[in-house]
Amino acid sequence: MSTSSDTLAAAPPAVELEGITKRFPGVVANHDIRIAVEPGTVHAIVGENGAGKSTLMKILYGMQRPDEGRIRVHGEDVNFRTPSDAIAAGIGMVHQHFMLADYLTVLENIVLGAEPGKGGLLDTAGARKRINQLAESHGLRVDPDRIVEDLGVGDRQRVEILKVLYRGARILILDEPTAVLVPQEVDELFANLRELKAEGLTVIFISHKLDEVLSIADAITVIRRGTTVAAVDPASVTARQLAELMVGSELPTPETRESTVTDRVVLDVRDVTVQRGAAKPLLEDVSFPVRAGEVVGIAGVEGNGQSELIEAIMGLQTLSRGRIVLGEDDITTWSTLRRREAGIGYIPEDRHRQGLLLEAPLWENRVLGHQTREPARKGIWVNRTASRKDTERIVAEYDVRTPSIDTLALALSGGNQQKLIVGREMSGAPKFLIAAHPTRGVDVGAQAAIWDHLRTARAAGLAVLLISADLDELIGLSDSLHVIYSGRMVARLDPSQVTPEQLGGYMTGAIAEEQS
Amino acid sequence: MMPARLQRTLLTLAGAAVAVLLAVAISSVAILAAEASPITALEAMFDFGDTQAQVATAVAFILNRAVPLFIAGLAVAIGFRMNLFNIGIEGQYRIAAIVAAFVGSQFVLPGPIQITLIVVVAMLVGGLYALIPAVLKVTRGVNEVISTIMLNYIAINLAAFLVRGPFTGEREAGQLTTSTPQLPESAWFPNLNFLFEMFGLPAPRGGLWGFLTVAILVGVIIWVVLERTRFGFELKASGLNASAALASGVNPKRMVISAMVLSGAIAGLIGMPEILGRTHAYGSNFTAGLGFLGIAVALLGRNKPVGIAVAALLFGFLDRAAAPLQFADIPPSVIAIIQGTIVLLVVIANEITSRMSMRQEERRAARQLDTTSQAQAEVAA
Repeated sequence: MSTSSDTLAAAPPAVELEGITKRFPGVVANHDIRIAVEPGTVHAIVGENGAGKSTLMKILYGMQRPDEGRIRVHGEDVNFRTPSDAIAAGIGMVHQHFMLADYLTVLENIVLGAEPGKGGLLDTAGARKRINQLAESHGLRVDPDRIVEDLGVGDRQRVEILKVLYRGARILILDEPTAVLVPQEVDELFANLRELKAEGLTVIFISHKLDEVLSIADAITVIRRGTTVAAVDPASVTARQLAELMVGSELPTPETRESTVTDRVVLDVRDVTVQRGAAKPLLEDVSFPVRAGEVVGIAGVEGNGQSELIEAIMGLQTLSRGRIVLGEDDITTWSTLRRREAGIGYIPEDRHRQGLLLEAPLWENRVLGHQTREPARKGIWVNRTASRKDTERIVAEYDVRTPSIDTLALALSGGNQQKLIVGREMSGAPKFLIAAHPTRGVDVGAQAAIWDHLRTARAAGLAVLLISADLDELIGLSDSLHVIYSGRMVARLDPSQVTPEQLGGYMTGAIAEEQS
Repeated sequence: MMPARLQRTLLTLAGAAVAVLLAVAISSVAILAAEASPITALEAMFDFGDTQAQVATAVAFILNRAVPLFIAGLAVAIGFRMNLFNIGIEGQYRIAAIVAAFVGSQFVLPGPIQITLIVVVAMLVGGLYALIPAVLKVTRGVNEVISTIMLNYIAINLAAFLVRGPFTGEREAGQLTTSTPQLPESAWFPNLNFLFEMFGLPAPRGGLWGFLTVAILVGVIIWVVLERTRFGFELKASGLNASAALASGVNPKRMVISAMVLSGAIAGLIGMPEILGRTHAYGSNFTAGLGFLGIAVALLGRNKPVGIAVAALLFGFLDRAAAPLQFADIPPSVIAIIQGTIVLLVVIANEITSRMSMRQEERRAARQLDTTSQAQAEVAA
């Protein structure tokens, strides 16, 4: 393990991934991933949420096994079955969510699972000596006798790192380590990482915060849609270029297509603010109209208020301020059910979580969300005959590839599940549709079909709110484009004019709010 | 190819059968450890007696035992359907039984009306008692497992107090137990002994409780509610995927309240067969533990009315075997071991078979789609 530091230049990569592919039923999470991490460097892996970073790390840490491809550690082929195998090979993982026992001391947490014994007793003195040694040589100050509950976030992270080092790791994976830290703590962490690097350790750093990545990384690999799209040198790349790589830079040739936008406002979001407690608002004074026949796109790096906006419109989130108007009706205080009955359709961002009953047959999934409406309902009954018949219609019209409508939803591929959802949400003549990442994790064929359906519905007068991380999708479908950044609408752009630089700039907050 | 649903059902049945056989095998070890012969034990369990009267009595015992267990299983299953764990069936049925028994003894009306009123009171009390944990959960986020367990203690002790205090009836000389006042004869549920006579059998001792008919009716109604109504669909959706149900406009608070109250109302019926059919009063020796057994019965029956009926009959059958086992010098606690192992193994078997059938389903779909895409390719070529 430690021989690698002798001759840095000639040494094989600390970690080398070659052609890693991982499929889940119906979805390809990782496809032909290629990464080479040089020893003694900080190597950043960047990509949008859902791009496949976490699956990749689980594979590297032995939590999941790849379907194809090879992993080499210091030039040797490895085959991890469990995280213990990865630990034995000198790979350690610091999880985004700390895995510490609150009521144990720092020392106890560090040795937990790898307790040094001495005649059946815990060798506390030995452990303390070793921890202090590690802490000193890597500049990770912690008091081994403090209770973890009393520690701040930065200290806890140091404990996590020590825990990994204690197990002899020479390669550290840090999963979004800065997500929970305040700026000063980030600086401290980076100082620690540089120290580790100086000691000859290798750090794999996963993030989507581009400025941080640029300041700490020696090499960067970009992942998009489950595959590695670029390996770049941080010295010769800007944050904006990185953002383009992350979300897909090639703009489709602006389609000259007829605008179907009318002047009839279907959904009007007015000054919507969502705030929990005294914290910074998750959404602040968001206002925009969506007209009949219009697709309004929302661009933004994930976690900037998109989910809250969707929830606010669906009635899953109470507003601190503002109103939402559907047609003539103020629906701010309406229940989710009433909003759906009034003609709001919803393609959720996570279909397994919000869109499907995986263990129920397709036709019952057709009823979901329509349980109070025709054709699914008949008085107090579920109208089975009509629901089944209408499911047959969706299967045919939306090309859902399934053996039958009695098949359980879980047996379908991601693309077919999504087509079923799209078909369901378009049923019953909706007035307004929320499409959140409508083509995430679906294959290319299904993607094109879903786009076509959205275009057709738009031409028929449907008002659509499109939230997506895929810039091609946003630019190709939207009639107008808003950028959301830390809970606020920072720009309204014309999708036929926008450049990826502009969009990336607004999305990462590099370009300040529009002066208006 | 076999229809997917049929295949799933067959797989489930096969799993249950294997589980029961395994449970018998494991119990045999326990019987051997008790220095008795498993064969003798099995013979004793299936020995319903020598005379026709004994057989009739045995059959009636099994059914009379199965009826309250079936109702208890239904009550549990309603909550389980949406992952709501109503452990409070025990308390709900005890408190419902004593109140209904007391109220029923306070007036005399024509039979059907008297009985209906008693049943309605029992359901009301059970439902209201279950409303407490439901409201606590919805308004304060109190876990229903904890609150229903606590409310069991309250209900059991409250019932014990009521039967000795405010609700106590006259005690005959020499009687050791206290009970509520006797129900008027109009509240005695007619028995179903004529069924035995139809088969040329003598009437069983103690009689076959007529509440069996009500239980069957309730079972059918619950099946219809769970499988065919909008409420049943929302219940199922909430259980399968709570966040999808929420996003689809199902109000989780309303579901918790209605499922819990319905579960409690059904629980209120558990004590009715015994009170209306045999004791005609709530006494201090009233059958206890049916609520907890109901959890096992519901688990065994996979929360489906037909399955629960089978499970209740199985439990009734095993409970009856306790006496003959004793005559054969085998400790009757063997029955408890069999019941316990069956429940455990069936739960395990359910998990395994459901995983198997899901994987099968995925493969079927993949296979079928492969053949269609091949066919399309051929057409294209």
